[in-house]
Amino acid sequence: MLRMIKEKIFLVTVAFLSLLTLLPLFHILFSVIVKGLPVLLEGGIGFLTGTLAPPGSGLGGIAPAIIGTFVLVFLSSLIGLPIAIIAGIYAAEYPNSLIGRTTKTLLQIMLEFPTILVGLFVMQILVIPMGSYSALAGALALAIVMMPYVATSTEEAMKEIPFTYREAAFSLGLSRFKVVFRVLIGMARKGVLTGILIGMAKVAGETAPLLFSAGGSSRVYFNGIDKPVGAIPLLIYNLIQQPYENYHEIAWGAALVLMIIFLAIFIPIRLRIKEVKL
Amino acid sequence: MNAIETIDLDIYYGNNHVIKSVNLKIPEKVVFAIMGPSGCGKSTLLRALNRLIDLNDNAKVDGDIKLYGKSIFEMNSIEVRKRIGMVFQQVNPFPHMSIFDNVALGLRLNRLTSSKNELEEVVKWALKKAALWDEVKDRLNDLASDLSGGQQQRLCIARALALKPEVLLMDEPTANLDPIATEKIEDLIYELKRDYTIVIVTHSPSQAARVSDFVAFLYLGDLVEVGSTEEMFERPRERLTEKYLTGRIG
Repeated sequence: MLRMIKEKIFLVTVAFLSLLTLLPLFHILFSVIVKGLPVLLEGGIGFLTGTLAPPGSGLGGIAPAIIGTFVLVFLSSLIGLPIAIIAGIYAAEYPNSLIGRTTKTLLQIMLEFPTILVGLFVMQILVIPMGSYSALAGALALAIVMMPYVATSTEEAMKEIPFTYREAAFSLGLSRFKVVFRVLIGMARKGVLTGILIGMAKVAGETAPLLFSAGGSSRVYFNGIDKPVGAIPLLIYNLIQQPYENYHEIAWGAALVLMIIFLAIFIPIRLRIKEVKL
Repeated sequence: MNAIETIDLDIYYGNNHVIKSVNLKIPEKVVFAIMGPSGCGKSTLLRALNRLIDLNDNAKVDGDIKLYGKSIFEMNSIEVRKRIGMVFQQVNPFPHMSIFDNVALGLRLNRLTSSKNELEEVVKWALKKAALWDEVKDRLNDLASDLSGGQQQRLCIARALALKPEVLLMDEPTANLDPIATEKIEDLIYELKRDYTIVIVTHSPSQAARVSDFVAFLYLGDLVEVGSTEEMFERPRERLTEKYLTGRIG
């Protein structure tokens, strides 16, 4: 009897604690929806298609920032994904080589690297030489943030494939390149795609690496990769520092849009990737 | 001429001497069984024959292996593996590919067929050869992982046969199958030896007796005895062989 009571108490405690860890998540979802939704409803479609209102009156729209976010995610994927996937495969294929081990260690460091330093680095190598903030610089900074997520999940997914499939592929007279890129990568696709999605969702919400690289023009649309570009997180960051009431409202609306974009990348595709039965 | 010949073959894993100076002559178009207790080096020996052992960085091979008189170490390992197909103990069709794609994979990636028609013909031929065609002809686009274990193993045989190898290596192909699926595979082996040289590894003497023409008995890396299956099961020359066949070591 006493043992059963102890068991119950333990269960209830664990359940309560796990609820506690979820509380912040639900609080964020809740407050963003409660404060953002009225803004979206009031601004209507114009909030998604227009440009920023003047200080003090009206809402206008955040279209330049939305487009900027998409452009930045797209460009950073273009730069980051091929390198990251190849690095992940390399680390999985040659785990004992010097380059393989170094790659792995560097990736782990990059994963935890303060992103503001990435922004500073890009400013040094790109923004200062080019003489201006640019979409390219923002994308490069985001690509650096994205790469370790994609590379480590690629590496893990490749390593999880049982050795017997590798043997089977080699036994068909295939070169190592074909074994990896035409057979095994297909078996690892869930892991690789999950990594890509996490990476994309992560950089869609990044602010720090963009501060000194993308520039953040909230009234000008994307007009070339060598020109400054806005982004939703950057817009939110800028707006809440202003003393105007309407800018704070716009920031809440923008936060809701960002959250919807984030969840829209994340949830449906994640559900749709078919598991490979091993 | 012998299909395969090993000459003073030694294999080491690091400091472990796992195959000790083995000399084998495997004639053409027979079923040649390599039997012995678990851990005696059977699978290692088999993996040396198509140089799959190259995948293991720790393994070192001394001596020579000849395929129709030519050393496989003078050939490209890719070439060797095209001519010597393999079927594994762990039933391993590629689970993310369709039945058709599993068989077509080697043909496509090695560019062995020139048209879609030809590809389909060869895939069909291989599936028929593996006695699987009638069971899968209406579901070629289903995933390979949807098949039963025995069907999956026959699919693996079809996958290997599609490349039209001269020799087929089988590493305990029925170890993970039920008795009915095992019987089907054994019947298939009997059929296949008309066209192929088959080297099968088994830890079951009774399977060796059922399917093979010749048998080699391997014990702790030593080749104890080799000869015609009938003779060895009736009059083993070595006491160790007799002990193994009567179940006193295993």
